[in-house]
Amino acid sequence: MDDSGVHTIASSTIVVIPAYNEGTILNTIVTSLLNKKYKVIVVDDGSNPSLQNQLQTSSIYYLRHKTNLGQGAALQTGFDFAINLHPKYIVSFDADGQHDINDIEALLKPLQNGIADITLGSRFLSDNPSQIPLSKKFVLYLARVINFLFTGMLLSDAHNGLRAFTISSLQKIRLTENRMAHASELLFEIKSSGLRYREVPVTIHYSDYSKGKGQSAWQGIQIVFDLVLHKLFK
Amino acid sequence: MSGIQIVLLTGVAFIGLYLIIRLKKKVLDLVFLLALVAAAIVFILWPDLTNTIANKLGVGRGADLVFYTSILIFWFVLLKLYLRIRQLEKSFTQIIRDQALKNATMPDSDDKSANQQ
Repeated sequence: MDDSGVHTIASSTIVVIPAYNEGTILNTIVTSLLNKKYKVIVVDDGSNPSLQNQLQTSSIYYLRHKTNLGQGAALQTGFDFAINLHPKYIVSFDADGQHDINDIEALLKPLQNGIADITLGSRFLSDNPSQIPLSKKFVLYLARVINFLFTGMLLSDAHNGLRAFTISSLQKIRLTENRMAHASELLFEIKSSGLRYREVPVTIHYSDYSKGKGQSAWQGIQIVFDLVLHKLFK
Repeated sequence: MSGIQIVLLTGVAFIGLYLIIRLKKKVLDLVFLLALVAAAIVFILWPDLTNTIANKLGVGRGADLVFYTSILIFWFVLLKLYLRIRQLEKSFTQIIRDQALKNATMPDSDDKSANQQ
C-alpha cells in the first residue's frame, strides 16, 4: 500500500482518547496521531486542572466531562461524538502512552478487508510478550478467565484499550459501565449483537508512568463486583 | 409497662406519624408500612409473642428471630439502595455526557464560543 492510501484511511478514521489527569505524554500521542492524519477526539474525563490548556494543539475535537465519571463513560461520550462525524472507522486509544501508534493500521486492516467488524488489540499475540511484568501477566490471566466465564469468549488479552470499530458496529454498542468493567461489558455487547471480532497483535510499552496508571489487583476485585451487579440488574 | 417499652413505643409512634405525613399519596406503601408499625407495637407490648412464633419456626428465642429477619431486611434494603444509586448514576452520566457533547470544541476553530451555548 502506498503512502497516500494510508492517509485516506487515516483521514476516514477517528481516534478516541479518554483522558484523566494525564501529563505531557498525551501531547506526544496527539501530535503523532495528527502527523499520521488521523482525526483525534480527546475526552477529558473531568481532569483537574482541565486538559484543554495543557494540550498544545487545537487541531483536535476536545470534549470535557464536568466531573470524573470513569473511563467507560468517557469512551462512550467519545463514541457518541465520533459517530455523528460519520467516519468509516473509530479507534479507541489509551492516554498513558502504552500503545503504539503504528499498530492502528494493523487493527484497521481486517475492517477494511471486511473480515471483522471489530478488532481488539492483544499484547500476548505480539512477538515478544516476555517484557510484560509477571504481576501484570497474572492479573490479566485472571481477567481472561473471568471474561470467559461471563461471556464464553476466551481472548488472549482481556483488558486492552486499543481497539478498532467500523461505524456500523459501534452504533450497536452502548457502554453503560462507567468504570473499568466496561472492557468486559464491551465483550457482552459484541456477543449479543453478533458482531465479528478479531484479535490483532499489538505492542505495549511499559513505562513507570503507564504502570502507575494501570489496574491494581484491588481494582480487579471491583471490576468483578461491578460485573456481577451488571448481570444481576441489567 | 417497663422503661424500654415506653422508649420503643415512642420511637415507633414517631415513625408511624412521619410515614403518614410523608406517604399520604402512596396508599399501598403506607398500608404496608403501617402494618409493620402495628406489628412492632404488638411485639413491644407482648414480647413473649416473639418467643412463641420463634419456637414454632424452630428458633430458640424471639430476640434471635428478630435478629435473623433484620439481616434479611438489611440485605433487601441494601440492594434497593444500590439499584437506586445505579439509576442515579445513569441519569447523572447522561446529563454530563449531553453537556460535554454540546460544548465540544471543534478542531482549529478560532471562535471557540461558537460551539458553546
